[in-house]
Amino acid sequence: MAKALRVRFQPPLAVTLLILGFFVFIPMVSAFEYSIRTPLTGGYGWTHYLWAIREEEFFHYIFRSGWLAGLTVLITLIVLVPTMTWLHVSKSPIRPLIDGISLLPLVIPVVAFAVGAQISFPEFVQNTVLELPFLYFVLALPYAYRSLDIGLNSIPLKTITEAARSAGANWWRTITAVIVPVIRGSVMATIALTFALSLGEYTLTVLLHWDTFPTWVTFVAQDNILGAIAISMMSLIIPFLILTVITLFVPERSMQGRK
Amino acid sequence: MSSKSLSLRNISKRFGNVIALDNFNLEVGVGELVALLGPSGCGKTTALRVVAGLEHQDAGTVLVADKNISDVPAHKRNMGMVFQAYSLFPNLTVEENVAFGLQMRKVSKHLRLKKAHELLDLVGLDSQSKRFTHQLSGGQQQRVALARALAFEPEILLLDEPLSALDAQVRVNLREEIRRLQLSLGTTTLFVTHDQEEAMAISDRVGVMNSGVLEQIDTPDALYNKPASSFVASFVGTMNRIPAHISDGMVEIFGSKVVALKRGNENGKVHALIRPESISVVATTAQGNAKVLTRSFMGASSNIICQTSDGTIVQSLMTSASTGDLLPGSSVQLRVLSSEVLVANV
Repeated sequence: MAKALRVRFQPPLAVTLLILGFFVFIPMVSAFEYSIRTPLTGGYGWTHYLWAIREEEFFHYIFRSGWLAGLTVLITLIVLVPTMTWLHVSKSPIRPLIDGISLLPLVIPVVAFAVGAQISFPEFVQNTVLELPFLYFVLALPYAYRSLDIGLNSIPLKTITEAARSAGANWWRTITAVIVPVIRGSVMATIALTFALSLGEYTLTVLLHWDTFPTWVTFVAQDNILGAIAISMMSLIIPFLILTVITLFVPERSMQGRK
Repeated sequence: MSSKSLSLRNISKRFGNVIALDNFNLEVGVGELVALLGPSGCGKTTALRVVAGLEHQDAGTVLVADKNISDVPAHKRNMGMVFQAYSLFPNLTVEENVAFGLQMRKVSKHLRLKKAHELLDLVGLDSQSKRFTHQLSGGQQQRVALARALAFEPEILLLDEPLSALDAQVRVNLREEIRRLQLSLGTTTLFVTHDQEEAMAISDRVGVMNSGVLEQIDTPDALYNKPASSFVASFVGTMNRIPAHISDGMVEIFGSKVVALKRGNENGKVHALIRPESISVVATTAQGNAKVLTRSFMGASSNIICQTSDGTIVQSLMTSASTGDLLPGSSVQLRVLSSEVLVANV
């Protein structure tokens, strides 16, 4: 058994881990270390975390950002899954065009997007915070689209769809009872990416004059930088915990079979 | 029995400039198994997909028990379908796959699992019911697909080349199983295949298609022995095309005269269409009318390939016992055994 656990040294993996360690883990660990410093005593403590939790706005904003992100995920799945299923099944000639359009949010500057939205959207849309999930959906589109695309390309979609339909499933049941469970991994990745991106979105939100968790953290940081870091660390941990719970408790019905 | 008759009337279907079905007509009786046979691109799969509702015809009507279902969506047609590619749902167990159609029809879980087990028992896979589909062999997966297609008691069973991805032995076993099940359940079945042996072995009638048109539909015997066209004659089984001369309804082949069954040219050069088993090859010490090129031993029978003095290649199928002296290079006398032959224009 000891032999099986031994990991062979692989230079490409080592380089990747080194880069990841240097640019991701070290800053994160440093930020955490910084956030638990207590300058008055010179030691470490949870002072800033306790302060953050006692701030009544902490839960208000994290809840708001949470439901906005949840709504964005819902919009993403409702719009993308049927559309992309149709694009794949019908082998539509417009698919390359849609592929290209889905990448546009990556190259359009968020500032231009926000200003454009302010100029063009009617007032009743701009008056409600519900405009944000739709705009977040656009920002998350390149990632959500790719993730679902990989899932749909990895299965014999046309045959499975036709098998479901000939067995009596309408389009809705075909998507919900067959396609989504079969590409569960891709759907979960789409949910995670869209949720994380929406939860952390700052530029567009602040340009449209809305307050969410990231904008509040920035506001707090002006007076209490250590508190802001503590809040940020928690905002990192909370979605991580949510996603872990989802992964653990959604029943595993993968192609690998039952254990 | 929920089985019903099927009619396709004047069905036309195009894909761009390609005509897949051209005024196509087909009648399948209650409990009958009809195979559609033809080369790739002849329109047989399109015909099946039109019946299933997975393609919509440009013109014509599809009737089930004389009821027009042309505009009924696929999921409401109550037709079981088995596909060429493995089409099982990988996220479901074997029993859940079989019960899927019943689940869509809102049958209670207890009843649909009971029915699924009945069907799995019929295809000999009840012991595998809790497994996932990737844990089964190709033949087992197609058995599950067959059970799934039959579980909700479809009015018509549609088989789209269900055996083509399987090994030779599995194909033979499964085709016999399909026929056994079809006969015991009495399900009206339309079976699409490009394999003539498969079609001939299990079908009540076989329809031969070419370029979107049904060339002939008949029993396997009639199709083989009395092909309606030169295409059917060549496509079904092996057929020799031997240059010959016709005059007054008689064809002269290998020095003897036989009656021409279908007439091309009344007089002049034609091709005589003769099955390999209708040609005898006899070794001769004198100057024969052909030479043996190869002899392939196939067990009870042997395949003899000869070349006539004018260069025509002729194939003969004979019992192996009578071919011992037919060595490659030996001089032989060819003779037509049948008293009538089909002819086609040169």
